[in-house]
Amino acid sequence: MSLYQPHLMTIEAIQDETPDTRTLRLTFRDPALADSFSFKAGQFGEYSVFGAGECTFCIASPPTRRGYIECSFKAVGKVTRALRELEVGEIVGFRGPYGNAFPVDDWSGRRVLFVAGGIGLAPVRCVLWNVLDLRDRFDEVTLVYGARTVADLVYKRELAEWRDRPDVRLVTTVDPGGEEPGWDGEVGFVPAVLERAAPTGENAVAVVCGPPIMIKHTLPVLGRLGFPPDRIFTTLENRMKCGVGKCGRCNVGPVYVCKDGPVFTAAELAALPAEY
Amino acid sequence: MRVISDADLRGLAADLLAAGSTVWGPARVPGSPRPGVEYRPLREAAELDLGAGLPFLPLKQVFLPPTEPLFWWERKGTEVRLVPPAPPNRRVVVIGARPCDAAGADAMDRVMGWDYRDELWFARRDAATVVTVACERPADEACFCSDVGLGPSHPRGSDLLLIPHPGGYAVEEVTAKGRELVAAFPHRFREDEQVTPGETAAAGPPRIDLAGVQRWLADHFEDETWNEVALRCHGCGACASVCPACHCFDIVDEPDSLLAGTRRRNWDSCQTSRFTVHASGHNPREGQHARVRQRVVHKFQVFPRRFGRLLCTGCGRCTRACPAGQDLFEILTLVSERALETS
Amino acid sequence: MRELRELAVRLLETSDVQVVIGWEESRRGVRPAFAQTPAEAERLVFDQRCVHNLAAYLHPRRKHIRGLGRPAVVVKGCDARAVAGLIRDNQLRREDVVLIGVRCPGVWAENKAEGQPGNRRWAERCVSCPQRTPTLCDYLIGEDSPEPSGGPGLEAQVERIQALPMAERWAFWSSAFERCVRCYACREICPLCFCERCLADKSMPQWIESSPHRRGNLAWHLARALHLAGRCVGCGECERACPAGIPLSILNARLQQSVRERFEFVVSDDPVAPSPIGEFRVDDGQEFIR
Repeated sequence: MSLYQPHLMTIEAIQDETPDTRTLRLTFRDPALADSFSFKAGQFGEYSVFGAGECTFCIASPPTRRGYIECSFKAVGKVTRALRELEVGEIVGFRGPYGNAFPVDDWSGRRVLFVAGGIGLAPVRCVLWNVLDLRDRFDEVTLVYGARTVADLVYKRELAEWRDRPDVRLVTTVDPGGEEPGWDGEVGFVPAVLERAAPTGENAVAVVCGPPIMIKHTLPVLGRLGFPPDRIFTTLENRMKCGVGKCGRCNVGPVYVCKDGPVFTAAELAALPAEY
Repeated sequence: MRVISDADLRGLAADLLAAGSTVWGPARVPGSPRPGVEYRPLREAAELDLGAGLPFLPLKQVFLPPTEPLFWWERKGTEVRLVPPAPPNRRVVVIGARPCDAAGADAMDRVMGWDYRDELWFARRDAATVVTVACERPADEACFCSDVGLGPSHPRGSDLLLIPHPGGYAVEEVTAKGRELVAAFPHRFREDEQVTPGETAAAGPPRIDLAGVQRWLADHFEDETWNEVALRCHGCGACASVCPACHCFDIVDEPDSLLAGTRRRNWDSCQTSRFTVHASGHNPREGQHARVRQRVVHKFQVFPRRFGRLLCTGCGRCTRACPAGQDLFEILTLVSERALETS
Repeated sequence: MRELRELAVRLLETSDVQVVIGWEESRRGVRPAFAQTPAEAERLVFDQRCVHNLAAYLHPRRKHIRGLGRPAVVVKGCDARAVAGLIRDNQLRREDVVLIGVRCPGVWAENKAEGQPGNRRWAERCVSCPQRTPTLCDYLIGEDSPEPSGGPGLEAQVERIQALPMAERWAFWSSAFERCVRCYACREICPLCFCERCLADKSMPQWIESSPHRRGNLAWHLARALHLAGRCVGCGECERACPAGIPLSILNARLQQSVRERFEFVVSDDPVAPSPIGEFRVDDGQEFIR
């Protein structure tokens, strides 16, 4: 089977996260593959809708939950719109897992801070569940999550679950004007809310995913909180086609995002040309 | 030394065609406004035209066609079936490749084979025997193979290397595949003690300092040079289409109906703005200077550092094809000079 | 040459022009040049090797050129027609560009005259050129020269293809389009292909298949040619840029013939002349539009 031929997967469940964001739960058609498939938090895949094409998303479910994978997407382009048309029971293609991963094993004993904006919670959710499923190994776990409006917050049921857990500190926020009656979270942009929440960078790592503008303004805040650049992790979202370092599209300076990424530390990002 | 005459080389092409092989070689293109030859699958050996110089388009189409199916899909009810393309079942022989083209495919082997192996590429590579004809002189002033560590009779990427001498060619067996081809058609080759190897245009001394170029490129990502050289660029991407080593591609789905279709890969080029643009409209490589820079830095600094080969064989095709007079050798010379100034 | 350089220097020194777009000598013939200082203007040349249509640098997609400031551009007759097209289609304001017209002697088929002078041949479009000297210009330089003659003109090529039986004409174009690798160099260099997002790059819906196979190539080339009907200035840049050697000029010329016959419209360098697709007429001869 060629590198470019996807595995077939069935849509087991569909969850609408927001009016324009949807999560699919997928299972392998091939039972042997369903048993053997494994991946690491942060890795991505190429998801196919036959007739429309492929698109790249992270695997949004944690590697600690076997037997299925999930992806969350916004219907913005040709393939994501076609993906949104599909119903439970229909078949999609999947190639992966590709790329590197968050070095979760290295974080034992440390505090873990997650900062996410909008649909950037998808890659964070994967590694957050990964950490929570191995909760004993880590110190404090904090999530600072923001979206434009209350309606734009994704994974609402899981946010409620995390809020209720004593071993997770959750701070949610919406952009000014995005609040609605009954909203008891913060109002403000993620970097400012993060600065107010002031989680310590001492013996801690941070995972930051979201729109480029949020990441840009969050990195200096993390610096002030005491996170060194090599303990801040994020993911790059350059366009990809092959996912396996051949098609040239995701090349940024010396790196191929699909092979050397998508996970990079802030220190690594600082050394890259700003072509992402 | 083993030799083959002009007539026997054509005869070899005829033998191969008769044996059912696909034979590619330089041939005239009917209906083209451009004079000269292109690499084409030959219908008959008489079409082979080795005297008309360097084909305008590169050889890479033999190994990476401009478009190829990755698989076919069909839907029946809720089931989907994928059908992969059949592997090439015919021997392919290229007769009259030029050294710059053979070396281009060798450079592409590196990226097609690292970590993940691109079987579609290697199936074509494995099925093909490349018989290269050394150049007796540069095609024109755009040629610069000798400046990038290759040369008019460099064997890299060739299975047989033919070095012209009056009436024929001295035969250098570069690989086992080349030896097998000679062994399969022994009547086309003969021994001639008068002919000694190495009788071809010597590679001139390099005119640019490649190490200096690489050093400068590594730490001049932001530099006025890129704005200067990019002014004339239209972003048309003709340079990538004619490059023997540009390997970027796109993957697209083409439905034939709601129930069946093809996924294909097609050549693509980093010189166009659409190459990197996101669905959101954000383009991380905005501006023509950034795209010209990508081409040069990738070929001369990024790729060699990662894969141990330049992604340029000095064929000069991009320079010949550029409708705006962009000249890669001139850019390298400029960079080489700036590297000297800054060292 | 003196006249051109003096004018360019004067424009850069004394008027609101930040760049003069013309031609310069390079080691492989002449090529486009962007003179931003009087010293750079001393490098400008004009002769029969100046094949490029510099109007392509004026359209809105050339952001890197627009960033240089107000340009003056050297234009031959065909180039001026392209500038007029940009103005007619609201892509350029007349006051935003200074036009240096040259009395064009006709240009060679290539930007470098290879081999002996006897081997030089006229660009096909220059034989029977409708208008070598631009009227759309702020300055006019150079001297009159005899009309290019000899060698096959474009009209003759069109007639040759038109005279073929349908099946042979089809075979001619099919084999030409089969060579296309869909690099879109023809589009990118065309001074009139200014769309921010080309039909061929749109995927929702996918009007034109992007793969370089028979079906996709035919769709692309027909769409490209039709979108230039009544707009193509016949500068031949698409054909010159095409790495696959597809004789696009013949197709373009044939379409302009059709436009001439059906709409009594000839592309000129008059920027306010209404164009067939840019104008509504109540007495339009075509039924469907009423």
